[in-house]
Amino acid sequence: MYTTLLIVHGLIAVALLGAITHQAISMLRRPGVRSGTFADRYTGVNQKTFTIAILALYVAGVLVGAIIYPKYRLDVRIPFEEMRLGWAIGAFELKEHFAGIGLGLLPLYVSSWRTETEETLRGTRTALTLLILFIVWWDFLVGHILNNIRGFG
Amino acid sequence: MNRLRPAPGIFMLAYSVAYAFVFFKDWPLFRYYPLHGDFNWGPRSQTGVGPAMAWYGLMASAFIVALLVSLCVPDRVLNRNLYRYLWTTPLLAMVISVILLRRFLF
Repeated sequence: MYTTLLIVHGLIAVALLGAITHQAISMLRRPGVRSGTFADRYTGVNQKTFTIAILALYVAGVLVGAIIYPKYRLDVRIPFEEMRLGWAIGAFELKEHFAGIGLGLLPLYVSSWRTETEETLRGTRTALTLLILFIVWWDFLVGHILNNIRGFG
Repeated sequence: MNRLRPAPGIFMLAYSVAYAFVFFKDWPLFRYYPLHGDFNWGPRSQTGVGPAMAWYGLMASAFIVALLVSLCVPDRVLNRNLYRYLWTTPLLAMVISVILLRRFLF
C-alpha cells in the first residue's frame, strides 16, 4: 500500500510542479506581442485558472505525504542515521517543514489570485506564488533524491 | 469583519509565527510514535516507545492559533505597507527552520 501511495504522492508532485511553474513563469513574463512560439504558448495561459488546481494538488500532496511519513520515519530515516547521511535527513526535515509552512500561505495565495488585486498588492501575490514555487521545487527534488538513495522496500 | 470567514492575511501571519515559535520551543500539540501508533498529547516526549514525530503536532498547533486569531482579527488592521510585506513572514519561518536544522545540514 505504501508503495502505491508513494507513487501517487510522486504523481501529484509532478502535476503540482507543472501547474505552479506554468503559473509563475506566465506571471513573470511581461505581456506583449505574442509570436506563437513555444515560449509564448507556454506563458500565454490564464494564470487564475491554475489557482484552484494548485491549491487542491498542494493539499492532496501534503495529505498523502502525511500518510506515508511514518513509513519514512521508521524504514528510511533510521538507515540514513546508520549511514550517517545527516544532510539527507536535514533536507527531508526541511521538505516537511517547508510544506507545512506553505499550507499557511495558501488562503492568502488563493485570495490574491481570485480577487481583482489592487496594484499595490500585486507584489504580495507575486511573492507568494514564487514562495510556493520554491517550496514545490525543493520538496520535489529532495523527495526524488532521497528516493534514489533508498528507493522502495 | 465576517465572523465565519478567517482573514487570509492574518491567518498567514499568525500561522507562520506560531509554526516558527512552536518549532523553536519544541512545543507541538501532540507527538506521534509510529512504531506502535501511539499519540502523546502535549510537548513532553515519551521514552522507550520508538522515534517520535512532531510534524503533525506542529502543523496542528499553528493551524489552531492561526484560525482563532484570523477569526477575531480582520485583515484591515494591517496597513497597506505592512500587508505588502506580509509574505516575508512565511519566508522568515522557513529561514528559522533552516537555522534550527543546521546540525543536519552544515
